[in-house]
Parts: sequence; structure tokens; C-alpha cells
Amino acid sequence: MPLTRRRFAAGTAGTFSLAASGLARPAIAQSGPILIGWMGALTGPLAAPSIGFERGTKWVVEQINSTGGIKGRQIEIVARDTQGDPTKAVNATQELIARQKVHAIWGPPNSGESLATTPIMARAKMPNLHPCVVNSLIDPEKYPNAFRLAPSNVQWDDAVRNYCLNVLKIKEVAIFGDSTGYGTSAVKDSVAGFTKDNAKIVYNGVIDPNQSDVTPDLLRMRDAGAKVLVCWSVTTGLNSRILNARAAIGWDVPIVGHPALGTGEVGKLVDKPANWANVYMVGYRSCSFGPDGRLPARSQEFVDRVKGKIELGDTVLWWVTVAIDAIDLIGKSVAATGSTESDAFIGYLNAVNRYPGLFGDYSFSPQQHNGFPTEEVVMSAANSQRDGAYALAPGYA
Amino acid sequence: MLASIIASGLAIGAVYALIGIVYNTMFSASRVMSFTAGQVGMLGGVLGSLFILRLGLPTIVGFVLTLVVAAAVGVITEVIAVRPVLSKLDQHLYVLSTLALALMIQQVTAIEWSTEPQPFPRLLGIGNGDPLDEKFWLPVVACAVVIIGLEFLYRHTLVGRAFLAIAEDNFAARALGLPERNLRMASFAMAGMIGGIAGFSSGELLLAFFANGAMLNFYGFVPVALGGLGNNRGAIIGGLALGLFQQAANFVFGGVFASVAVFIVFIVALLAAPQGLFGTTTARRV
Repeated sequence: MPLTRRRFAAGTAGTFSLAASGLARPAIAQSGPILIGWMGALTGPLAAPSIGFERGTKWVVEQINSTGGIKGRQIEIVARDTQGDPTKAVNATQELIARQKVHAIWGPPNSGESLATTPIMARAKMPNLHPCVVNSLIDPEKYPNAFRLAPSNVQWDDAVRNYCLNVLKIKEVAIFGDSTGYGTSAVKDSVAGFTKDNAKIVYNGVIDPNQSDVTPDLLRMRDAGAKVLVCWSVTTGLNSRILNARAAIGWDVPIVGHPALGTGEVGKLVDKPANWANVYMVGYRSCSFGPDGRLPARSQEFVDRVKGKIELGDTVLWWVTVAIDAIDLIGKSVAATGSTESDAFIGYLNAVNRYPGLFGDYSFSPQQHNGFPTEEVVMSAANSQRDGAYALAPGYA
Repeated sequence: MLASIIASGLAIGAVYALIGIVYNTMFSASRVMSFTAGQVGMLGGVLGSLFILRLGLPTIVGFVLTLVVAAAVGVITEVIAVRPVLSKLDQHLYVLSTLALALMIQQVTAIEWSTEPQPFPRLLGIGNGDPLDEKFWLPVVACAVVIIGLEFLYRHTLVGRAFLAIAEDNFAARALGLPERNLRMASFAMAGMIGGIAGFSSGELLLAFFANGAMLNFYGFVPVALGGLGNNRGAIIGGLALGLFQQAANFVFGGVFASVAVFIVFIVALLAAPQGLFGTTTARRV
């Protein structure tokens, strides 16, 4: 049959009208597997968190699918390795949406990548759950599809400030970070927060992460009268140098700040284990050992259950549990609405109230897409890691 | 406070000075500014940590092996990145070739070693982080030993005089029967060893970290520019001055502003003496 202009126009119109009618796609989509896009830096220098997220993601999908799936539908993870590169994350996002036609996306977990992918997902109305901390990633008006499962920078900052001012009861504060974009903005936010709470900021500044000796910086802080140091650095080299220099000048001042203060890499670089004492990092109640050496009941039960099945010794517990919560929430949405349509996901998530996840009790509303409760952000003793969890810092009930 | 600034300033200054000497040694033999200078410094720390901490070898064995590998990297630089472009020096192709090799060294180290800083072993166990700690004076001692050794080599040995001869005029040296290519390779091996000494002696200060290479490339070039290209004594003085000024600026201005202060002084010094503070102007036939 020859292709004439009239036949082409008629065929095209027919195709468009069929697609627009919305009849064909749901009939297939509502009975097939639930496709969840998952992207993270699975290889490369930024891979450590994503490896933890990946373990939780795989485990929970196996659990759900082995018990019959969600309303008889299996969950299928479409994973993409972004290597921590925003360009790769953008490409992966477009491919997951346009070609793989996933129903929801979990990740990316790196804020730099998420800054690039969030607007793309918003344009496609793609339901998105992520654990990134940068404040601007959540805006229910601009990004009604995006939901945060981890605390934001503001919540971290609140927890650090609360610990310094209300638990340690110290008002003379030195605030510093590394001279990366993150460190600089975190110091600025932290200074604004402490100023608002009438603390006395005796020093604030950023330090080159490659600076070989930070003794001069610490001496400046000490001479300025600091009684507590607030550290916003993700650089293990700088963090360990701060701890070693603090010991070298014999200054037992508490250091409070970023979770990177508690990574095993810092532990390898301190001159003596004692140099790591009196250091408190942002942590979470659900992943903190109490004075009895046990986690909260829900977390302890999980850790006991996955012993030998998920390796927790070389990762961080919350990376695993938040991934489980992300997939669980998507599954619960399909179970409740029976739909994998974007509006159904977003509508379900907007109504979630105190959902008891492993990592936290999440609540969302159409106006608030930061789901993690601030009161569950606590400080942990940086040198106390065991099975990916930390001991609560002194002073908490 | 002053003791701390002087100790850390002299230590890091000595490392910059040694990297400056690496630049000079490679330049003297080939007229090429090789960007692998900082990378061999970085490798000194990484290899020291690898041999002593990871493989558990005795310190002295680890040190010797570090120098051997660093010398090999120097020779590889000469063969791969310098020799092929020597005939086109006026086109400055060496910038590309040595930079490419430097980036390869850095990336391979990041992939095979770690992207995070790794610990470097305590070599002598002297000090407790105070200004008299070994991590501060070991680089200074290494710098002194290297400069004395080089002075002895250049002034009192036949091989050293041959090095000077090719540095002065390689055409004339070749005409006199000196094995110019072998001497150039030996110069690059020696430069690699000096870089290895810089990295090994400063391992406790800088840690075994792949990103140190770029930092040393950058700050190691400053004493060369300040002291005059090819002038080792100038590099020593320039390096130590840079380290002291940088640490003082860290204390007075804080991290980022310290870098700004360092480069303002650097630019002013070069405006005042474009040939370097200890360099000499040379006549050029036009």
C-alpha cells in the first residue's frame, strides 16, 4: 500500500488520539511489574554511600517479591551507575523516564547530582524519593514530585546548634568548614543559625582541605575564646588533621559537626585513638546505641534479622535503612492506590503521616516534602561506630 | 604559636623547595618544565605507605624501594613525555605531554591506591605533634641532605660536571663526546629520586594522598619562579620563604585568604624581578 500524505496524516492522528485516550497504556502498566529507577554512584570515589543504599534496595526488593510482591505485581529495579557525575545522572534520568518508563525513581543520593536531575524529574512529573541534604532540592511548588527521606542541611544545623547550646550549654562557638562549595555554604548557614540563637561566634572561616598543618587555625580559634568547635567538612584529611592538631596543642575542646567526622577513614588517620574522643557528629536516633549498647527496638530487630544477610560492618546503617524505607513507601503507595500513575504516588505520599520506617517516622503534606522528623536528628560519639551505627552523644535521655 | 608557625612553615617550605629542585633538575637536562615533578613527590608518600604500612616491609627497605620506583618514574617521564618532543621545544608540546603523563599517574594512583588520604607510618617516633615533632623537621633535614648532596655531585664528581656540561650547552657537550641521552635519563632518574625523598620525608605531614601531586606541582613551581629557573639555591630560599609566609598567612588571615595573600606576594615579586629573585638575565641573539 503506497504511503500518501493523506494516509500518513490519518495514521498520525489516529496514533495520537489513541495515546491521548489513555486506554492502551494503563491496561498494560497496571498489571506488569512495578518499575523503580534507582541511580547512585555505584563505582568511583563517591561510591561508599550508594553501596550501602544498594544493599538496602536489593534486600527489600527480594523480601517483597518473595512474599508475592505488591498486589501480585513484582518490583523490578532498573539500576543505573552515575559514578557521582551529574552529567551521567542527567542522562540516566532521561533514559529511565523516556526509555525504561519507570514508575518512580529512588535517588540519586548525591546532592550535586540531584541538583541536576530534580528539575528534569519535575518536568516529567516523575515521583522521586531521595536522601540528599541540600535545602533547595525540596520545594513543593517547584518540585511537587520530589520527597526527601533524610534530614536537610537545616535540620543537621538545628541538631548541632541544639547540642552546643542546650546540651553542652556552651555559647562561645568557633564555626569552620572546608573551602569546598559545600563547606562554605554550610558555614554560612551555621553562622546565621547560631547568630539567630544569640550564641557568641568568636571565629568563623573556611580551611583549604589540603592544608598540611591546621595548628595556626586552631590557635586562632583558641585565642578567640572558643569553647566548642563546629566543623562542616566532608574531607577526612582535614578532619583528622584538626583532631591531631587539637591534641598536639593540648586543647580538649569538644568538636561537633558533620557526619564525616565519624567515618572509619578519619579513625585511620588520627595519631592516637584518644585524639578522636570528645568529637560528636550528626547522627540519628534510629541508628544510635543507647547506654545499654542496644539500638531502638525497631532497628535492633532489623539488625538481628539481617545478620549474615546484609554486611553492615563496612557501611553506615542509615544508608541501608533509608533505602529500605524508600522502596517500602513506593510499594505501600501501590498497595493503597492500586496505581502506578504519577498522581497516585504523589497523592499518597502527600498524605503520609508518621509512617513508621526503619530510619525514621516520616510525615509529608502537600506543603512539606521534608519527611524526616527533626527530633530524630541527634549527635553521636564519632569514635563509636559498630555495625554501621554509633553511640548517642552524652547528654541525651 | 610562633614556634608552631615556624616549624610547619619550614617543613612545608622544604617540600616546596625539593619539588622546585625536581623541576630544575629536569629542566637543566632537557629545557623542559615537566609537570610530573609534583606527581613523583606524591608517589614518594604513597609508595612509602604502601611498602611500609601495607606490605609491612622495614622502613629502610621501604625507603630504598620508594626511591627506585620514583627514579623509574623519572626515567619513564624522559622516555615517554620528554624525548619525543625535544625537537619541537619551541612549540611547547612538552606542556601537553608531561601534563598528560602527570594526569595518568594521578588517576592510576587514585584508582589503585585510594581517593582518600591514607596514613603514613611514623618513621622515627620522635615527638608528639609539637613543633619538634619529626614530621616537621624530617622534610627540612631531607632538603638539607639533598642540597648538600647535589652540591657535592656537581662540584666534586666527574658525572656531576658532565650534568652541568649538558645543562650549559648540550650541543657542545655532545661534540665533546659526552653521552647526552644517557646523562639526560640519569638526570630524570635523579629528579625522580629527589621527588621521592620529598614525598617520603613529608609523608607524615601530607599523608599518602593522590591529590598531593597537583598541589605540589602548583606550589613547587612558585619557588622555581621566585628563585629563578634552574637555580637550586634560589629554589631553596624561595621554597622556605613561601612555606613560612603561607603558614603565617594561615594564622593571620585564615585558609582561603592565605592563598590569596601568597599569590599577591608572588605576583608582586615577579613584577619586581621577572627573572626571579636569584635568576640572571641572559642575552639573546636577535
